[in-house]
Amino acid sequence: MKVIYQLILLWLTLNLTVYLFREKRLSWQLSAGMVLILFILRLLLIK
Amino acid sequence: MKTRLNFKNLNFQRGQPIFIFIMVVIICFFTGENFLSLHQEDLIIPSSGLSQQLRLSHYLPTLANTPGNTRVFLFEGKEKGGNVLILGGTHPNEPAGFIAATILIENLIIKKGRLFIIPQANLSGFTHNDAFEANPQRFSLPAQDGLRWFRYGSRLTNPIHQWPDPTTYINPSSQKLAGPESRNLNRAYPGSKEGSLTERVAWAIMQLLKTENIHLAIDLHEASPEYPVINAIVFHERAAELAAMTMMDLQMEGFDLRLEASPPNLHGLSHREWGDLTSTLAILLETANASHGRLKGKPSPQLIVKGQDANYVRAARLGRLFVPFDEEGIPLKRRVARHLASIKSLITNLAALYPSQTIKFEYFPSPQLLLKNGFKDFLQIASSSK
Repeated sequence: MKVIYQLILLWLTLNLTVYLFREKRLSWQLSAGMVLILFILRLLLIK
Repeated sequence: MKTRLNFKNLNFQRGQPIFIFIMVVIICFFTGENFLSLHQEDLIIPSSGLSQQLRLSHYLPTLANTPGNTRVFLFEGKEKGGNVLILGGTHPNEPAGFIAATILIENLIIKKGRLFIIPQANLSGFTHNDAFEANPQRFSLPAQDGLRWFRYGSRLTNPIHQWPDPTTYINPSSQKLAGPESRNLNRAYPGSKEGSLTERVAWAIMQLLKTENIHLAIDLHEASPEYPVINAIVFHERAAELAAMTMMDLQMEGFDLRLEASPPNLHGLSHREWGDLTSTLAILLETANASHGRLKGKPSPQLIVKGQDANYVRAARLGRLFVPFDEEGIPLKRRVARHLASIKSLITNLAALYPSQTIKFEYFPSPQLLLKNGFKDFLQIASSSK
């Protein structure tokens, strides 16, 4: 279960990162960055 | 619907997204470091009188490698005598219990009997704060080698470790409670061997009481000054005589104290289940903590340590509190001294009532000295760790 959960998180994190680099508007990049922080913390720290 | 990552049109040339990504990594590093620090155990430097340091998994092996596997410190005299358990940190937002237990561990030397001390009974609760309370994560006290930090946690087990809460919690003694109370250690007794993390911790403590033949068990707590059960000894009916003798002792020492009988129909609490299901004399001690209350002003480490709050001074003038409260406040040292004086008196009176259950101390930290000089003399130097 934990591996599936981590894989889902990894998938969403990668999508957000790609979105951050593809988006041209600053406000949308900042929004993606803020959500990305939560996903990275969740991916790496929450056991 | 696209399910593959689309790497087209990525913009690595402009500095803007790269800068934002670097900021994301920096923020993750610092917040991650802070998050991990919440899971470090507080520093406790046992005295030379410590006989053994165990973990709660000694009494329930499935607790090993879980956030509930808290430390158990055993002080054993050369002569056989009474067995006593002292529990601090059942509620990690009630620091007087945890600090009183820590001061005992760092100073006690025993000649006769055995004393078990669990300073952080709900270890998981020390790894987070209550949401929306704006409580500080830590507070500091003067030790012999400078300031020492202690965690200020939550009343309940961390939801990261036990989730989700049920809508209604029916505890192991069939008492119906609100869902979040499933993470309250002092509603989970007698616990369950295969239950939630909180119930397993409760079950392991019950096992300790039974297997070590504990004669007297003391659960250290705090409550808000507007709560009626305050500056009190809550006692199981078999411990009534012991509690009454202790109340008289403490009043002679200048600590005003009231007696509260454990309600027979309120199940899941330590003073009820310990007394009903084991042969121990069950006692719960309460002091008044302004940082715990609903009327408090801005939460801060100073409020925890000094216990001064203008809102509570006003509430006292309006007659809304159950304890006297003036500009001096109720500092942590006074709350801890009250716990220490109560513990000493309870153990002395246990010996008076049942001589075979005597515990003799070579050194017991003096509540009066703590009141006079503060914590510095009682928190040891880190390099003196055994």
